[in-house]
Amino acid sequence: MARILMKGNEALGEAAIKAGAKFYFGYPITPQNEVSAYMAERLPEVGGVFLQAESEVSAINMVYGAGGAGARVLITSSSPGISLMQEGISYIAGAEIPAVIVNVMRGGPGLGGIQPGQADYFQATRGGGHGDYFMVVLAPESIQEMVDIMQEAFDIADQYRNPVMILADGMMGQMMEAVDLDNVEKSDRNLPPKTWATTGMAHHQGKNIINSLELDPAKLEKHNLDLKKKYDEMAKNEVKYEMYKCDDADIIAVAYGTTARIVKNTIDMASREGIKMGLIRPISLWPFPQEPFDRTADRAKAYISVEMSMGQMVEDVRLAVNGRKPVHFYGRTGGMIPEPKDILAEIKNILGGVK
Amino acid sequence: MKYEIRLSGEGGQGIILAGVILAEAAIYDGLNAIQSQSYGPEARGGASKAEVVISDEEINYPKVKLPDILLILSADAYKKYFKNISNNGIIIIDDTIQVTENSNAKIITLPIIKTAEEKVKKPITTNIVALAALQNITNVVSKSSLEKAVFNRVPKSSIEFNKMALESGYKLIDLVR
Repeated sequence: MARILMKGNEALGEAAIKAGAKFYFGYPITPQNEVSAYMAERLPEVGGVFLQAESEVSAINMVYGAGGAGARVLITSSSPGISLMQEGISYIAGAEIPAVIVNVMRGGPGLGGIQPGQADYFQATRGGGHGDYFMVVLAPESIQEMVDIMQEAFDIADQYRNPVMILADGMMGQMMEAVDLDNVEKSDRNLPPKTWATTGMAHHQGKNIINSLELDPAKLEKHNLDLKKKYDEMAKNEVKYEMYKCDDADIIAVAYGTTARIVKNTIDMASREGIKMGLIRPISLWPFPQEPFDRTADRAKAYISVEMSMGQMVEDVRLAVNGRKPVHFYGRTGGMIPEPKDILAEIKNILGGVK
Repeated sequence: MKYEIRLSGEGGQGIILAGVILAEAAIYDGLNAIQSQSYGPEARGGASKAEVVISDEEINYPKVKLPDILLILSADAYKKYFKNISNNGIIIIDDTIQVTENSNAKIITLPIIKTAEEKVKKPITTNIVALAALQNITNVVSKSSLEKAVFNRVPKSSIEFNKMALESGYKLIDLVR
């Protein structure tokens, strides 16, 4: 099988199965329902379990259970549904259970709308739930990258015993694009055996207990310090980004996911008009890439964060630029998708201002 | 080369499936293609549309901004989409729709619905007749890839009359010359 035409939501489901996911739990919400429909049909064929829970709260706790038993487990939802899952995600992080969570973002706040959005950046990268925890957050820009990242996400989750989030959006979930599912690169990570899993085999391998409760503050602090060490390792090792035409760029846009590919269009338009524009595309939103900013801050005149939000990632861009150059923002929200020409108009405004 | 294509009509005409088939045919041709459609309440009732972008280069912006090729199969779709076409674009419109407005695009009026109803005797093949006509007029995809994509996406039991729909659709080009 070479390149086939597939809807983003279906491709990510198949990619999870290829990555070894045997369990999927979910609760319906647009624009990600095709994942559930696909998994309902496909998982039984590979000896897996699909289950539509009675709520998002229930579904995420099923993930807690299946992940705790050592299985590879996928859960997907969209913005309001992901909000409902935050308690469970915090428990999963606290209990150190690997799982892959996909948020096919839509416009908010509240029930919001069902068209694409990127306004859950803060929620995804800053924990979302309570307590000191982080998870690796990956943001693909195409259906192929979403498929490739799925394998990676499961590996990262297993390596660190931590939830991993894939941040997609309604555009990516709903559109169809060519994808090659057969040549997904397997990582060469050395994944530790899951000796901690609660498999019901206590009489063979000793008792394992999975829990996120610790009432002794000294012990809980020790647990938090251990987690911190793990997060530091993740922050050091799991940075991913793309630099696109940054070498001699006067202005550098920072964008992820759907917005990043729109910005690439803007860059082509800009170059036809003699404007040197580049793109830093964080693929890992947490850990947020610092290096591409250090490599460009001397040369670039300004940065602009382009998002389908009212300005969230722009805060990380400001931290990374750290005052060396001005940081601007352009965003559309509520399900509106920015057009390349509108971004270009903003770029011209900014360059007019810094000359 | 890059084509932005908008297929429009009404619910039940198989507009979305036509978009999927066209994008798949482009991929069989070794090109890049993105298919997108409206979803949710936007997609219910009234005009139905599917968008396909086909290019031999990487496609970044995933939606249709200004179509080069526009298919119109219903009066509602005509009202909604007729004006939005590139200057040297092609509009393929069913002959049941009365065109009252001017356009800089080339307008090709064809009996697509009638062909599906009277020639193929399967109104359900309106979308396939339309795709075959569009293929023969524009050559955005090859005939062999279009056929492969049609047979891949329609139920097995319907392959015979879809073959007839393709043949009848190709022949509509005779009315253009």
